[in-house]
Amino acid sequence: MRAVWQLSLLLWRQMAVLVVLTGGLWLCGMGLLAWSVRGDTGLAGIGINVIVFGGWFWHVGQGQVLRGLCRPESFLLPGFRNRLAGAGALDLLLWAGLPAALAALCGVHYATLTAAGLLLVMAVGLASGTGKPVGLLIWAGFIAVIWKPQLAERVVDIALRSPWTPALLALAAMLALRLVFRPLLRIEDIEPDTSPLESTGLGRMRSRATEGRPARGAIAKRIQGWFDGTAQRAMERAMAAYRRHPGARQRMALIRSLLLPHDNPEAIALRMVLVAAIVAAYFFAILHRPHYNAAVIGAYAVLLSLSRFPQLGRGMLRMRPNLADLYLTLAPASRSEYQKTLVHALLLLVPVTVLSALAYTALGIVLVHATEPGRMLLTAAIVGAAASLVALAVHLIGPEGSFGRGVVNLVVVLGAMGSYWGGYVLLGLLGMELGGALLALVAISFGLGVWFAAQREYQRRTPCFDPPPA
Amino acid sequence: MSLFDLSPAPKLPPHPRAASPAVISVQRLEKSFARREVLRGLDWTVPAGRVIGLLGRNGAGKTTLLRCLLGLSPIDGGEISLFGEPMTEPGGERMHRIGFVPQTFDLFPWMKVRAYLDFTAAFYSRWNKPLADRLIGDWQLDPKQKIGQLSQGQRQKLAIVRAIAPEPDLLVLDEPVASLDPQARRAFMAELLELMRGPDKTVIFSTHITADLERAEADIALLRDGQIQFTRPLAELRARLRRVVLTREGGWPHAPVVAGLLKTSVKGARAELLVEDPVPDSLQALATRESATVQIETPTLEDLFVELA
Repeated sequence: MRAVWQLSLLLWRQMAVLVVLTGGLWLCGMGLLAWSVRGDTGLAGIGINVIVFGGWFWHVGQGQVLRGLCRPESFLLPGFRNRLAGAGALDLLLWAGLPAALAALCGVHYATLTAAGLLLVMAVGLASGTGKPVGLLIWAGFIAVIWKPQLAERVVDIALRSPWTPALLALAAMLALRLVFRPLLRIEDIEPDTSPLESTGLGRMRSRATEGRPARGAIAKRIQGWFDGTAQRAMERAMAAYRRHPGARQRMALIRSLLLPHDNPEAIALRMVLVAAIVAAYFFAILHRPHYNAAVIGAYAVLLSLSRFPQLGRGMLRMRPNLADLYLTLAPASRSEYQKTLVHALLLLVPVTVLSALAYTALGIVLVHATEPGRMLLTAAIVGAAASLVALAVHLIGPEGSFGRGVVNLVVVLGAMGSYWGGYVLLGLLGMELGGALLALVAISFGLGVWFAAQREYQRRTPCFDPPPA
Repeated sequence: MSLFDLSPAPKLPPHPRAASPAVISVQRLEKSFARREVLRGLDWTVPAGRVIGLLGRNGAGKTTLLRCLLGLSPIDGGEISLFGEPMTEPGGERMHRIGFVPQTFDLFPWMKVRAYLDFTAAFYSRWNKPLADRLIGDWQLDPKQKIGQLSQGQRQKLAIVRAIAPEPDLLVLDEPVASLDPQARRAFMAELLELMRGPDKTVIFSTHITADLERAEADIALLRDGQIQFTRPLAELRARLRRVVLTREGGWPHAPVVAGLLKTSVKGARAELLVEDPVPDSLQALATRESATVQIETPTLEDLFVELA
């Protein structure tokens, strides 16, 4: 039992804030359920939804913990699988058993359905946390609701009355759990870690505990292989070019291919195709909403493009010990020259981000038949350029702690999305030429200002080659 | 029959000591990585109650072999038996009897040292807490420090504490002392020898520091060409192997050949021969015939490793 308790404590030890927040939601949901005993069914519904919400995030966290825990060495712990199953049973009791039992005691009509639904939420949350694409199902559900709200309402209505629904939900949960645990409990050879600055576009939501670890699923492994192939070819091209003409431009291309292995033309195209395939479904669903604003796509495109930068910030921290080798290889005349070289190499991410934002916006425009494509594209290009300069700047010199980075990133993303809407309105009011010029003047000036200040500060700093704190 | 058969085939007969209950038994073990064969039909028997030093050059497959033995790396062919049961995957009661120190320790970087030891202790039926606490103190590990903040050597110490504390019957260590300072290395070896005083305790460790193997009076197992070439007690190696140096002013157009010759290297006037059970009279006769001087030396384990691996 001690081992089960220790396994249950892992989430608290790794993500205390998440446990406090989701634990609070659980208590709140249970309290509402208990309060509903007076006959307020609405309160019971709210309580269950609060528990679902908390349960989802709790299990995303649990999934991330599991991914770090299920390494070959852990299987040497006596009875590891059984104890893990025990911890799972405790978790099941906490997040599905107790709420469902309380719901039944309080006279909620759908207690069995509630238990099965909570089980499914747990399973899909775990899947998301372990990086399984099955987590995307939840988004598919949202898209379906957005696309055909009346149909979704009817399906829910029928499902609530059908005696088969709890069994089907439980079955779906079992399937999801099998998909989660099968690869996790399989012992495989350890593959080499990926580059801290890799950018396949598939792993940006990974936890810090699993960042840099190679993909474990067959599809993800295949995609990783494609990206690594492009990185290898780009490096070979850069080396061949440098051997032919050993100039400053060729040297910079070589440094970039080392630092940013997945930001070569081939990899960018591949990433765009993959991301486009995922977001196309969402754009398509938006098209079928009764009330939608096509311009929102540009904001989402900017948001999607900026998701590269938090990973870059964390990657640069993890990259630090390896950068000592680069420093010695480059043999710079001064430390600031070395910092300047890094800054110039990373500046490549600005055009890459703008290009991505434009490509995703263009895709959305085509899919939803937007009426003002020029206005959307121009706004996305200007805001994308300014926002990527700011994002690169703050992630270069910003806080090292994950909380500080998270706050900074939130501010940048919200600022960028707000700027997009502001810019879009401005272009509508003043016209493309005048509005575009004004937006560019304000946004790009701001972006460049922040960038130059950050660049100066970065060059002033002493290069650090220490590994990041745990 | 020679102690050593350095050609890939045929295989050596089983170790004479294997008659005692075998802790590990390996038959025809095969393991490849991306079509690169690392272990090629490896046979090996490890009897209980021995300290085995696994030697081999970089890339010989020592880590792979140790991980395969414990079921931490899937095998391509052959059979492994651990404590008399097939080792298809790590599991069962026997896991209480196994301790393992991996080459690099990178588990749970966000966990504090004390929390990690509490976590691990909870799984074992036997956990020597006073021993763990003493080692943590002696090796100056801060129980409140996060594992990710420890140096490589400190992590290695923690991994050793974690492996020794359950007082395992089989301790497998993959280059355990590579990152340790000399004090910690000696302290570790002392703990290891103390642990070995228990009945039927078996230790397998891979290392390049041959002095530690000499201190532990270990049996030496040599891994080369994907196979265990031999497993022999160090004392037996010392007793039976000699380095013979023949010196002739005119040099050696052909390497001299003697009975029991394992390896020859000729450098100018000197011909160095590694010979098993040399006969001094026969060597003296050879030297007289070739107008050379002869010198018979006892090689160190490091010399043997350099010559044989």
